[in-house]
Amino acid sequence: MITKLSNSKFLIPAMVTLVILATGAGFYISLKQSQNQLVQNNETRGLFWPNPKQIKNFSAKDHNGNAFELSNISGKWSFIFFGYTNCPDICPITMSVMANVYQHLVNYYENIQIIFVTVDPERDTTEKLSSYISFFDQDFIGLSGEPAIENSLTRQIGIPYYYNKKKGNNNYLVDHSASIFVIDPKTRLIAKLSPPHQPEKIIEQFKNIKRFIDAKD
Amino acid sequence: MQKINGLILIFIIFLNTSIVLAEDISGIDISHLWISEAPPTVSVLVAYVTLKNNSTKTTSLISVSSPLFSSIEIHRSIVKDDVASMERYSSLTIPAKSTIKLLPGDYHLMLFNPKTPLEIGDRPILTFAFSNGVKIPVKAHVKKRKYNEH
Repeated sequence: MITKLSNSKFLIPAMVTLVILATGAGFYISLKQSQNQLVQNNETRGLFWPNPKQIKNFSAKDHNGNAFELSNISGKWSFIFFGYTNCPDICPITMSVMANVYQHLVNYYENIQIIFVTVDPERDTTEKLSSYISFFDQDFIGLSGEPAIENSLTRQIGIPYYYNKKKGNNNYLVDHSASIFVIDPKTRLIAKLSPPHQPEKIIEQFKNIKRFIDAKD
Repeated sequence: MQKINGLILIFIIFLNTSIVLAEDISGIDISHLWISEAPPTVSVLVAYVTLKNNSTKTTSLISVSSPLFSSIEIHRSIVKDDVASMERYSSLTIPAKSTIKLLPGDYHLMLFNPKTPLEIGDRPILTFAFSNGVKIPVKAHVKKRKYNEH
């Protein structure tokens, strides 16, 4: 039986076909796998491409008590960071870094905005938020995003947060995402910048991301 | 003459003993104590400091206090899987002949409920208490964070 098979004139064509099919299948599988991952090469690390998430309408209040919605992020590059004003170390560090980034980028681009979203709306009143963000830069925007609401910006971006609350203790801590998220002028969630955050690194990443997106559109 | 020699000897022995004891007891150097300038309405400030244990005995920082704050706690910032959190420490061990640095993004002091906002130029006093019974008051500087400067 085996001898017969090895002598068959179909053997070689059959093997070649199998190899071609296997190779083809392999390429197809790996292509499919890479499509929905973050692009990992050094230049565009943290990029959500292809199929970046389209942000849908949300209603938040900014640090002046005014409504802040999808139309407020349309047409701009928004850097979004989640934190709370009682956070003494990581949040002020990140805000200081973003102040440095912003002061650099506004020299080159007109449509940049930096948004700080509080994950602690109970303690972070509009006044507190306003005083907090204007300390780092007068142009910064503070949002009380009310994370628990269905279509809130916080929910849509999908960041984790956790209250370490003890009964009767108002000094509770909040665990929260330490990443900086980037939304493009077409209101797509385009990138997630992971800590540690340094101004030069963020500026470089932004320039690469913008170049990449501008080329695609 | 002999009596005086005897007295001098006793004095020298006493001096050496007390020097050794003093070294062990207060062999802690506290330096680079600074509080970050913060938005005036914030209710939690942060301080960073370097603690050097020059003695041959391990000691621990067990508390920090100040009349300016309702309480002060030792915490460490942790970023794991992109999530930022803080762990509280009831004390910080400083082994013999070693230095611990409390720095941004790492171990730090959380200063709760400042009685007044602090400004650059203020020199608030924080008192550090150690497990060997030593208490050291230190004047802090109030400084801008590095990245606020261009």
